[in-house]
Amino acid sequence: MTSSLRTEPDQATPDEEKSRSGWRGLPTLGVERFSGLYLMALLVLIYSFWIPDTFLTSTTIRSIASDQAIIAILALALIVPLAAGAFDLSVAAQLGFSVALIAWLQGHGWNAVLSVVVTVLTGAAIGAVNGMIVTRLHVSSFIATLGMSSILLAGAFWITNGRTIVSGFSAQFLEAGRKQPFGIPLPVFYLLGVALILWYVLEYTPIGRYFYASGANPVASRLAGLQVDRLIFQSLVISGGLAALAGVILTAKLGVASPDVGSPYLLPAFSAAFLGSTQIRPGRVNVLGTLVAVYLLAIGVKGLELGGSPPYVDDLFNGVALITAVALAARTSRRT
Amino acid sequence: MDSKSVTPAVSVTGLSKTFGTTRVLRDVALEIVPGEIHALVGENGSGKSTVVKILSGFHLPDDGSTVLIDGTELAFGSSAASSAAGLRFVHQDLGLVLDLSTVDNLALGNGYRTGFGQRIRWREEIRGAKQALDQLGYTVDITRPVAELTPSERTAVAIARAVAGGAGAKCLVLDEPTVNLPAAETQRLFDLLRRLRDTGVAIVFISHHFDEIFELADRVTVLRDGQWVATEPIGALTHDGLVELMLGRPLDIEHSGEATHEMGEVVLDLNGVSGASARRVDLEVHAGEVVGVAGITGSGREAVARMVAGGLDFRGELTLLGKRLSPNRPDLAFRSGLASVPADRRTNAVLPGQSIRENLTISRVSPYVIKGFLRRSRETSDVMTLLQMFDVRPRKPEADIGALSGGNQQKCMIARALRLNPRVLVLDEPTQGVDVGAQAAIHALILEAAAAGTAVLVCSSVSEELAEICDRVVVMSGGTSTKVLHRPLNPDQITAATLAVREERAK
Repeated sequence: MTSSLRTEPDQATPDEEKSRSGWRGLPTLGVERFSGLYLMALLVLIYSFWIPDTFLTSTTIRSIASDQAIIAILALALIVPLAAGAFDLSVAAQLGFSVALIAWLQGHGWNAVLSVVVTVLTGAAIGAVNGMIVTRLHVSSFIATLGMSSILLAGAFWITNGRTIVSGFSAQFLEAGRKQPFGIPLPVFYLLGVALILWYVLEYTPIGRYFYASGANPVASRLAGLQVDRLIFQSLVISGGLAALAGVILTAKLGVASPDVGSPYLLPAFSAAFLGSTQIRPGRVNVLGTLVAVYLLAIGVKGLELGGSPPYVDDLFNGVALITAVALAARTSRRT
Repeated sequence: MDSKSVTPAVSVTGLSKTFGTTRVLRDVALEIVPGEIHALVGENGSGKSTVVKILSGFHLPDDGSTVLIDGTELAFGSSAASSAAGLRFVHQDLGLVLDLSTVDNLALGNGYRTGFGQRIRWREEIRGAKQALDQLGYTVDITRPVAELTPSERTAVAIARAVAGGAGAKCLVLDEPTVNLPAAETQRLFDLLRRLRDTGVAIVFISHHFDEIFELADRVTVLRDGQWVATEPIGALTHDGLVELMLGRPLDIEHSGEATHEMGEVVLDLNGVSGASARRVDLEVHAGEVVGVAGITGSGREAVARMVAGGLDFRGELTLLGKRLSPNRPDLAFRSGLASVPADRRTNAVLPGQSIRENLTISRVSPYVIKGFLRRSRETSDVMTLLQMFDVRPRKPEADIGALSGGNQQKCMIARALRLNPRVLVLDEPTQGVDVGAQAAIHALILEAAAAGTAVLVCSSVSEELAEICDRVVVMSGGTSTKVLHRPLNPDQITAATLAVREERAK
């Protein structure tokens, strides 16, 4: 997926030029790879001096951590197909659909565990449909998942009759979204669990390696013996399941299910995934980079909010940060 | 065809071109008169395409070069000047936009006829397009997308576009126009070219098909190593004579020996396999044997490796180690013991932005999984061994693959395949874009693998390469295997065999 992030993919650079000037990803000073972390520290420092009373409180820290858990899980869902070379634009709609689905299941008396399992499996199944459309019908993933988004939005309205559901959730279920062991909200733990598993899969298993290879050059990967179609299918199943999980956690956290809750999550999730691809392992989407990106953006926005900026600064900050980061990454990769 | 009585359409004298320190053209002279079809012949690297690129304004020649078009000196380095002077070019890929109609494609080259407010005058446009194609003897639906036309009709559209624009064409240059044409279509195109010639246009025809040259050309100019060798009327030449002029030495094709050493069992067997430009190919490769596939572009040579390695759909029976292979499934082929290095490394082999380590091990990572975790240390030490074995420099497993030179990248791709200890190794143009030193190293690696019992199939357009490493060379022509050459092989013999007249086309 590297080529989608930069306008000048590596292939365009003549071999000879590159051989003289070294290579990218060399851990010399690490300024580039860890710039997000440095920037995060800088922001914390600035806000601590500027608005110490509001920023440096456990409430603020807790709310940043837990509010961002949903976006972070959604962004992590995204990076799997991005690594494999496919877009999943339906993650946000998947989230919205699973919110509606689990609310319906709970409202019809299903027990908490079973309804969660069914919702997540449904998400994976929808991902499988995405995968079939992309690999069998040869529709570009961008278009296939865009279409699926619309279908899922319709589905969410159908299930909920267009109404916001506020009751019918079991206590056990709501507790799973609201409890705060050691003062840390449970969604943060879920995020850590998802991140850990995904990090293991992408970095320490063959399939992770194959995902990245097929994203880097699908033709070459296929001719090297990989089943690229199957990898893309699998990546979309994973993103579907994870997006549904994000929806489940969101529902448990809020105790409210409204059918149009998904759409606002799409852009932040993509921003985080792309911004994350400039961090930790520059040039490819990766778990740690995505986490850094999510929390860097969140801290930046939160500080501005607490400092009294109007609410639209939120979106402004996200957009500027994304473009700046990817442009800087493109520039450094051109120089090397 | 007395060239003295008329002003030549194109007169080239003292044409030289130097790239850096390499002289690719030296004092080339060329004279093309109106109303003749003039074939330009030479091996790859003989300078044909450089001449064309200078004429089209793409390259600047060295000082002292002169080109006269109809008696007027041509200003170099400008495609607009070339076109204004009356030089027109049709390249192998035609340069048409397939989704657009004939009318639009003609207009894209030469501009739309517009009226008030830049409104396109469609009626005039359509009439003009129809007329242009009628003159070439083609009647096609000019409002349909050119994708729906036959290959020769598309070529006609490209020619119409080239001929139509500006102040009229004096000389039309066609670079391998028949490569993608079936035999019947080729005849139609030849009729068109003859008709065009008879209107007084000079035509330069570049082709590797000698049978076509003998059928179509009036005169032939031969280039070798960037120098002019001969210009002869076609009637004064024989087929072998032309090959000898091109190679610069007498043909030495007397000895075609028999298989020299004992082979293992048949591990790769093609039985009537067809796909893309290849038709009913029969081929066997034994364990420990290096089999070459030779042939000019369009002969089916380029399809063989891709069918076997799984990149190309095929019909027919392809057996690997006794098992039928399904088309289009490189993964299954790899699992049954095949490994391949495709042609065009950049598009088909390299994983850009990934490390040398990741590029080398991608076909099989599972050996490095221990207790559920991919162990990078073990992988790295394996990769280091490979880099030493294959002499890849620099020996830095974590360096980006793009940091390597072309030759080193290609060695990596071969290492990627040989690392799997394949029973069958398929190589497509294994030394394309690789310097001489690396070429020798790659050849040594291939021979080593064969000595260890691997069956090797090498498809290559370089006769020297095939002669050097192969036990046997299968010559492709007109889509099928027409001849088998045994050791001892020599490059001339292979080249001559690939240029032999194709019977099917002659019929």
